[in-house]
Amino acid sequence: MSDYLLEMHDITKDFNGVKAIDGIHLQVRRGECVGLCGENGAGKSTLMKVLSAVYPYGTWSGQILWEGKELKARNIRETEEAGIVIIHQELMMVPHLTVAENIFLGSEPRNKAGFIDYDLMNAQAEKLMARLKMSDINVALPVYNYSGGKQQLVEIAKALNKNAKLLILDEPTSALTTAETKTLLDLIKEFKANGMACVYISHKLDEVAEIADTVTVIRDGTHIGTQPMAELDTNKIITMMVGREMKNLFPREAHTIGDVVFEAKNISCWDVTNRERKVVDNVSFEIRKGEILGVAGLVGAGRTELACKLFGCWNGDHEGRIFLDGTEISVRAPRDAVRLGICMVPEDRKRHGIVPLMGVGYNITMSVLKRYTSGGFIQSEAELAEIQNQIIRMKVKTAEPLLPIASLSGGNQQKAVVAKMLLPEPKVLILDEPTRGIDVGAKYEIYKLIFELAKQGVAVLMISSEMPEVLGIADRVLVMGEGKLRGNFVNEGLTQEKVLAAAIGQPTTDDGLKLSLHKNAGA
Amino acid sequence: MTLTKKDVRKFLSEYKIVALLIVIAIIWVFFGYLTYDSELGGSQFLTPRNFSNLLRQMAITGMLASAMVFVIVAGEIDLSVGSLLGLLGGIAAVLDVTYSWPLWATIVLVIAMGLFFGLMVGWLTAYLGIPSFIVTLGGQLAFRGMVLGLTGGITIAPVSPDLKFIGQGYLPELVGDAGGVLLFLVLVFLAFRTRMNRQKHNLAVSTMPAEVGRLLFAGLIILGFVLTLNDYQGVPVPVLVLLIILAVFTIIGNKTTFGRHIYAVGSNMEATRLSGVNVAYVKMMVFALMGLMCAFAGLTTTARLAAGTPSAGFGNELDAIASCFIGGTSMRGGVGSVSGALVGAVIMASLDNGMSMMGIDTFWQQIVKGIILVAAVYMDIVSSGNQRG
Repeated sequence: MSDYLLEMHDITKDFNGVKAIDGIHLQVRRGECVGLCGENGAGKSTLMKVLSAVYPYGTWSGQILWEGKELKARNIRETEEAGIVIIHQELMMVPHLTVAENIFLGSEPRNKAGFIDYDLMNAQAEKLMARLKMSDINVALPVYNYSGGKQQLVEIAKALNKNAKLLILDEPTSALTTAETKTLLDLIKEFKANGMACVYISHKLDEVAEIADTVTVIRDGTHIGTQPMAELDTNKIITMMVGREMKNLFPREAHTIGDVVFEAKNISCWDVTNRERKVVDNVSFEIRKGEILGVAGLVGAGRTELACKLFGCWNGDHEGRIFLDGTEISVRAPRDAVRLGICMVPEDRKRHGIVPLMGVGYNITMSVLKRYTSGGFIQSEAELAEIQNQIIRMKVKTAEPLLPIASLSGGNQQKAVVAKMLLPEPKVLILDEPTRGIDVGAKYEIYKLIFELAKQGVAVLMISSEMPEVLGIADRVLVMGEGKLRGNFVNEGLTQEKVLAAAIGQPTTDDGLKLSLHKNAGA
Repeated sequence: MTLTKKDVRKFLSEYKIVALLIVIAIIWVFFGYLTYDSELGGSQFLTPRNFSNLLRQMAITGMLASAMVFVIVAGEIDLSVGSLLGLLGGIAAVLDVTYSWPLWATIVLVIAMGLFFGLMVGWLTAYLGIPSFIVTLGGQLAFRGMVLGLTGGITIAPVSPDLKFIGQGYLPELVGDAGGVLLFLVLVFLAFRTRMNRQKHNLAVSTMPAEVGRLLFAGLIILGFVLTLNDYQGVPVPVLVLLIILAVFTIIGNKTTFGRHIYAVGSNMEATRLSGVNVAYVKMMVFALMGLMCAFAGLTTTARLAAGTPSAGFGNELDAIASCFIGGTSMRGGVGSVSGALVGAVIMASLDNGMSMMGIDTFWQQIVKGIILVAAVYMDIVSSGNQRG
């Protein structure tokens, strides 16, 4: 009756009377890629959970037509059998199982005796990896040997093995390097050509623009619009997502840069497990009062390791000297750093940022709880008053100040983590990927905050893999590659190309690249 | 107004303690009914005498459970407390019986030893990184071995009347009454100070009638408690100690940075460390508190039995851990309360006491307690909606 592979009509799902999504439509043709955009908390994940029957048929209202027939799946198994496979933002790999075992997890081929037929399994896994142009992966090795990007591709192999007709990718590139992202996008284009459909969920709108044929935007649980990508551009999508024109993504504000406040000299760090491998190699830099120092580089360049060392939480061997206000300081643990006035917002919010079961407010006051005590006892009222101030100041959206932080959206969690690290009134604030995985609105607020802090004289060290962000925010940009400091540029007329070239450590021309790669291979 | 299943579930998950109190009420009514004897003129279970006994029986488990809650909330476990209790109780008996030390000196040394062993376990776990399960499993064996060596495998008796008082004594009626009144006045004072502070910081306050009503309710409970116990022989000394521990530990948990950090460490240790908290120190001190409670429980055990025995405290760690879990402490850390654990201990003690009174065989008692533990945790999972698919 129709040429759509999937049609979702008027999908509404509520939680205890609160509508998470309300009357959403989504249609996907065979061989089509639909970009699904919306801010965090807009309802994208809820919609996908309805589709993949994480919320079984009957717990939501509306209609799903799959290949023209109504789909009434009760669990993920049934949707997967139908051919709908979802690849989650967080990788769902069992690290100690081999690549092949992961691919066939739950559908292991058996021999006559009922045992796993490893030969058949490995052979099929190799075939799948070849289809993904990943023949260099040894399918008999445990998955933890491979990088996040390769693991992502193993996830896709797993989906292919399930004969997916519709692939749902939820923020698939948030942990991938540029090269890995390109491989992934090329693969998706190839799948499309072969008739597979996909739903691509991402905050990275340039990726959506590259591969999506149609874009559906949802905001606050309602359907805002569906348009062919040809009629759109990233700015239009952003406008639809936030419901207002965002002329300037980076709210630059003038701020004065003062004297050198922090200096790192000859910092080196070694890998935790492989103690011979240097992950940060003799890096020195300084940062001034009120300066925003961006740190660019590819994933694995050693930026997070450097930040960890400065904050006193690097677990491997390390050396180097750190000066604050001209005097050498010794930072053995994060608590030393916080006490001296160096604070860090870590990269991995879930693992290192939030204390999930605790209230938002208690997360915020964690570093400075002593301030609200008198005679050793917490003065709950004074603490609560400060919490409410911070929640208002940082615009954290929470129903109650002591609601467990895990129940908030990513952007609001991040605001709370930033608030926590601002309360100690740091002289130097290290932000490691401060806007990863958060929506445009929350990003904008964090940028504004960074400028406000710079105005107040805080030195901000911002590590970011999003090049436009670094170029839009920083006064000066450090570029790291393979653990070394490969560039230190004043951010005037600086281009992405120039930064990238420095990160790779090569001249920009292709010839130069090939030449030196050749040299490295020979060495 | 109709109450749906969902409303009930929501209410129970928000007021876990109410759910537990309902369970206690059901158990008491159940045993009260089963032990009804018209010749003796009423139920044998629901008497002031049995209430007093029940509280005395739960005191030791309660002391251990109070500190065990913090250990489990911090994401650790302590399997050595039963043996450590035995060792410290044994030391108390030897000092008292063999060397005739004065009571205060015995108490000081036993407490110091408890802190020492607790700190040692904590140091091995928090600073050397040996999993607490292993450290305390080793401790369970080693401490029990030390008890056997110390006592030579025989019972050390009789202990001095002073020491016996700790485990078997009762407060005079007047002291009990005065204590009850004092407690009530403290609650009133705290309630009004909180009110004033909240107003000072422009925070919402509950209405005056609600506040007064709540205080009156608390007053009634205190009154009933003291009167019931006075109706028998007065408030038992171990019960008084336990109540003080409950108050102190609740304050530690809710009103000190140390307490807050215990919950934070158990919920996400890395994030807590990166917030500038000394997580190793927090963990070590949690074990130190556990050691301290072993000292209290050891002294009480020796005093109650009026002797140091080589098997004292055998298996007590499991009762303490079970009480915590029945009382809503999460196995994964980060969630739990001292009051919950004590209510859990009351449930365990009520089952013990009621079944003993009915003359049920010990083996049945153990089977029933095991089933109740599993069922209680299952109820908790259902009410918090954490079922696994």
